[in-house]
Order: sequence, then C-alpha cells, then structure tokens
Amino acid sequence: MIVVGLSHKNAPVEVRERFAAGKDQEVELLDALKNAGPVGECVFLSTCNRVEVLVAPKPDASPKEVSAAVREVLRRHSGAASAAELDGWLYERRGDDAVRHLFRVAASLDSMVVGEPQILGQVKDAFETAVRHGTVRGPLERCVSRAFSVAKRIRTETALGVGTVSISSVAVDLARGIFGSLDASTVLLVGAGEMAEAACRSLGKDAKSIRVTNRSFERAATLAREFGGVASTLDALEAELSLADVVVTSTGATNYIVTAELVRRVMKTRRGRTLFFVDISVPRNVDPEVHGIDNVYVFDVDDLEAQVKEGMRARSQEVIRAEAIVDEELAAFRAWQRSADVKPVVLALRAKVKGALAAELDRSLAGKLKHLGDAEKAALVQLIEGATNRICHAPTTRLKDAASAGDADVLVASVVELFELSEPATGAEPVPTERPARLH
Amino acid sequence: MLPDALFSLTALLYVAATASFARYLAAPADGMDGAKVAEEGRRDVRLGTGLLAGAGVFHAAHILVFSLVLAVCPVEGIHFPLSVVAMLTVLFFVVLRGRFRIDAAGAVVAPFALSALLASRFVGMNAAPSTQVRSALLPFHVAFNLFGIALFSLACAAAGLYLVQERLLKRKQIFGLFKRLPPLDALDRAEHRFLLAGFPLLTLGILSGTAWAQKVEQGGLSDLLRAGFGWATWLTFAAVLLLRAAAGWRGRRAAWGTIAGFASSLVVLAIYLGRGGPGGHS
Repeated sequence: MIVVGLSHKNAPVEVRERFAAGKDQEVELLDALKNAGPVGECVFLSTCNRVEVLVAPKPDASPKEVSAAVREVLRRHSGAASAAELDGWLYERRGDDAVRHLFRVAASLDSMVVGEPQILGQVKDAFETAVRHGTVRGPLERCVSRAFSVAKRIRTETALGVGTVSISSVAVDLARGIFGSLDASTVLLVGAGEMAEAACRSLGKDAKSIRVTNRSFERAATLAREFGGVASTLDALEAELSLADVVVTSTGATNYIVTAELVRRVMKTRRGRTLFFVDISVPRNVDPEVHGIDNVYVFDVDDLEAQVKEGMRARSQEVIRAEAIVDEELAAFRAWQRSADVKPVVLALRAKVKGALAAELDRSLAGKLKHLGDAEKAALVQLIEGATNRICHAPTTRLKDAASAGDADVLVASVVELFELSEPATGAEPVPTERPARLH
Repeated sequence: MLPDALFSLTALLYVAATASFARYLAAPADGMDGAKVAEEGRRDVRLGTGLLAGAGVFHAAHILVFSLVLAVCPVEGIHFPLSVVAMLTVLFFVVLRGRFRIDAAGAVVAPFALSALLASRFVGMNAAPSTQVRSALLPFHVAFNLFGIALFSLACAAAGLYLVQERLLKRKQIFGLFKRLPPLDALDRAEHRFLLAGFPLLTLGILSGTAWAQKVEQGGLSDLLRAGFGWATWLTFAAVLLLRAAAGWRGRRAAWGTIAGFASSLVVLAIYLGRGGPGGHS
C-alpha cells in the first residue's frame, strides 16, 4: 500500500485548499486514479486538514510507477505547473509505514485536534465512496476495515477522546475569550454540513440563538429545526451577519463568500459590535483580510493548531497508550496478513491429503470392502476427515506460526515442493503478490 | 503613630495584592486547558481581590484617621486627592468587578493604588488650603472630581487591558495572558459603563469648579491650564461617549479615547497638586 498526500502538519491552508475536493470532484479523482495504469485499488480522502490518496498497486506495478501516477493526478487537480512543484508539499508512505499512517489517521492520532471524533466518519465516507465506485475490493479494503476497528479500540480503551479539544471546543473557548459567556450571543452557521452540526452542538448549548444559512434551504431548515434555530439561504448572508456575534463558516465553496467589502458594510449596520468568525472550511470561506477590520476577528483551521497542540500535550499519556495500541494492531495485522499468505498452501495441503486418502478409500470400497453397508461407508468417510485433520494439524500450526514470525518462506517452499502443491486449493484466497511486511 | 501604621499596613496589602495578581498573570499556561487555567488562576485572583479589599478598608481608615489628626476634611486637604482617588478606585473595583466580570483588572488596579498611595506621601504634605478660597462649593467640586477620576481610573484600566487583549487576538496569540485577562467585550462594556458613571460627576466638577473660580476671581496660569485641561478632559470623554452612541466607535478607538481623557484628567490633578491646591502657590 502507498499513501500520498499532504496535511496540516506539512502544508498551510493556502496549499491544502488547492488540493481539497468536494464530493463530485472526489468521484472524478477516483476515476482518474482508477484509469491510471499502475493503480489497483484507491481511496481519496479530503478533509479540512488533509488530502490523501490511499493506493494498492496492481500486482505487476512498481511503487515508483504508482507514486508517479498518483502525483500526476494530484498535479492536474491542484493546477500545479509541474510535478516538481508538488514535491515540497506531498509526503509519501509505503508498506508498513503506510498502514501505520492509515491506522493513526483513522484513530485521530494524526489529526490537528488529536482525539477528535470527526476524522473516523470522514475516512468511512471516503471509503464508502470508493466502495460505491468499485475502486476498493482487495487488500486495501481489508486494511481500511482494520483501521476502523483500530480506531474503535483506541476510543474504547483510552481516554484519548475524553475532554478532547475539538475545533468546536476551541471555537467555544475563543468565543468566551471575546464575549465572556455566549448566553447573549447569536451564533450563525454558514453551511449546514457535518462540521457545522458539530460546531452547533458545542456553541449552540450556551448561545442565545442559532441561525443557519446555507445554499440549500432544506438542509439549513433541517439543521435549524434540530437546534431550535432560524434558517435562511445564502442570499440573506449580509442580513444574517448583521445579527450574528459568532459566525462559523463551513461551506464547500471554492472562493471567499465572506469578503472584506461585505464585512465593512456589515460593521456599519452593526455599529461596531464585535464579530467573530471561525472559518473551518478548506478552501477558506472568509477572506483573511477581514481579520484586519476593527472589532472583527477571523480564525481559520490553521490558527487553531497551536491551541490544539496545547490540548494534545495535556493528553500525552493517552496518546502514548494509543500509539502502543497502533503498534500492537500493526503487528497483529502483519501476522494476520502473513497467516493469510500461507492459507492457500494449508488448504492445498489439506486437499491433497484428503484427496489421497479418499482415492485409497474409493479403491478399497470398490474391491475388498465392497461388502460394507452405507453406515460403515459413512463411518469411513468420517474417519478420513479425522485422519486429514490429524495429519495436517502439525504442518498447519507450524506454517501459521512461522508466518506470524515472518519466517514462513522456507517452510512454504518445502511443503509445496514435498507435496507437489502447484496450485492453491479451490476456495482459497488468492496468494498475495507481496508479503505484508514489505507492503508497497 | 496610628496613621503611619495604617499607611504601612495598607501599602503592604497593596504590595501583596499586586504580587498575587502578577502571579496569576505570569503563571505558565503550557499543557493546561482552559478549565485548568481558570481553576488554578481563580485562587490567585480570589486572594488578590481579598487583599485589595482589605487594603481598601485600611486605606479608608488611614485617610479618616489622618484627616482627624490634621483636622482637615479629606476633600479639602491638598495632600489627600491622590490617596482618596486610589482608595475610591479600589473600593469601586472590589464592589463592581463581579458585575462586569473584570476580576483580573485587579492586576492594574492594585499597582495603581499602591503607586498613588506612595505618591500621596510626597505630594502637598506641607501645603494647607488657603482660607482665602474656602467656599461651600469647594468640597463638592473636589468630591465630584475625585469620584469621577476614580471611575475614569477603572475605565482607563479596562481600556488598557482591552488594547492588550485586542492586540493578542489580532496577533492570534490566544494562550496564557489571553486566557487570564477578562473577555474582550466585558472590558469594552466595563470601560463604557465607568465612563458613563464618571462623566456626570466630571461635568458637575467642571461646572462647580468654574463657578468657584469665578467666585474667587482666580486667573493665574495654572488656573487657566487646569481649566483648559479640565474642559479638554470633558470634551474627550464627551466625544468618546457620543461617537460610540452615534457612530459605533467602540473597541480600540474608544479605548484610546478613554486613555487620552484619563491622561488629561491626570494633568488636571497634577496641576492641582503642583500648585499646592486651591489658592495655593506653585
């Protein structure tokens, strides 16, 4: 497996927003990746803080070819002039590093807000989109599914998500630093997506009133109804800004929908009352120039990073425990994949032994044992089943143990050679082309 | 002597309150979330406020005893204004801090009160009010101004802290100090309310001062300067309040206006003290 992407850790929001993709674009990108020669399976993940492509190469493709193909798709999407222009921003993980990275991302260990719950849902959404478009079906599917269970285990066994400094809670903290309490403040949500909903759950608890404005009135109305707020369409944005104190923007717009000119007009009608923007969208919805206007403050996702890191330090013990779980799960996944490697050999061996015994039995039943009745014949079939189990038990156990230890190559070769196992048994999973320990 | 003992005790309590608030502001915030910062800081703020309240009470006792010893009404004695302003500022703060949620402003009020108390020791100690200028208006004139300046001191403290908070927010430095200082809007609101409360007192002080000046027919340079800065103070505060109401000038602009007005009022006080009080000689 290979992961190519960029995140809040290595690219500022100005760069990330060039790579971000909406739902429609995600599908186009999946198609582009699928059509790129060496890509076997792929998932495209785009959130506020990261854009990543997860790829399982085709059996005959080299990692270098896959990397180049993915980078070319990302170059075209971002509008960069050359692949070299992206080199400074894109990171790449291969094999175990890629699996570990995926586990950490799903478990929110690589998030800007460590422990925040949204990322798992976002990875699931990306995965489901890929499943719907038929771009995952093999090893990548199993790996992503495993990442979900790792994330759930970490959430259950550690307190990583307890008292999490989420983007919403940071926004609440900041709003309190500006307004004191929110009980006299009006919160306006511009955009009615998942992030807006999460923000509303934090901010809406204490706010005097909630207002939701969105391109689609129906979605705005649904969210507004849930929180006892008032809904409107984006056409009413200027009027809504005049009423609000805290504005959370999270639309999928690709340009600034809140401009400096608009806010200057709004501030006149507000008679200078403080206005606080939390721009959690990527690409950003609020022109950064707005922050320069008197009594107006704009914080985007990158601005919240330092605050988030502070919260992360406070939970460093939980992070250590979570990282240990990731290590443990990675080792287990590798062992599982290796044992999956020997499964076709085990099945082939078992079929061979059972086939040989059954052939001998058939010969005997046609000759010396012709006189046996149905009950006796059935008993003999049972006997062959038991004998197969006993004969195969020791080699199966040895093979699986060796696979878990990453040392099954010689044994597999010996068994294949000694028992002339040229083809995997029917029903067995295809033998992976590469060992998980050296995943590409 | 009792006045000296009260003075020393008051000064010590102001020092302790200043230290407590300084500790609150300077404590590192690394690795703690907002709730922990608030929890740890609350103790220091509570202690500082308690010390400040105690200091205010002893300060009032000091002024009372000292005025009895000197047989001078505090609002008439030339050596009292600074001390009375400091004491009133502290008492107003202790009473009103909860209402405006500006507890941490004690970090400015405590050192201000300490400085004013110490300065009062060296200002106008040898001057006595001239009997030539005694008038029924004088105590009212001085009292209005002292109460007004005390409220403006609090408005100025809130304005100063507002500017610090606003700068931190604009620079997006939202740790440590930002979390410890009062909320931005609370500071703006407090500054406005203190101005609103102080402005009528200042107006009465100016009017009574003008009437009194006409009555005693004074017209020296310092009187002219004092009257000039007095009216400049009044106009500045009037402009701040008017522009806020009419043109939405709040926040940074209002804060700078308040600080300018307070500086002007301090000039008036300095001229008053420098010339040795009403009718005194500079």
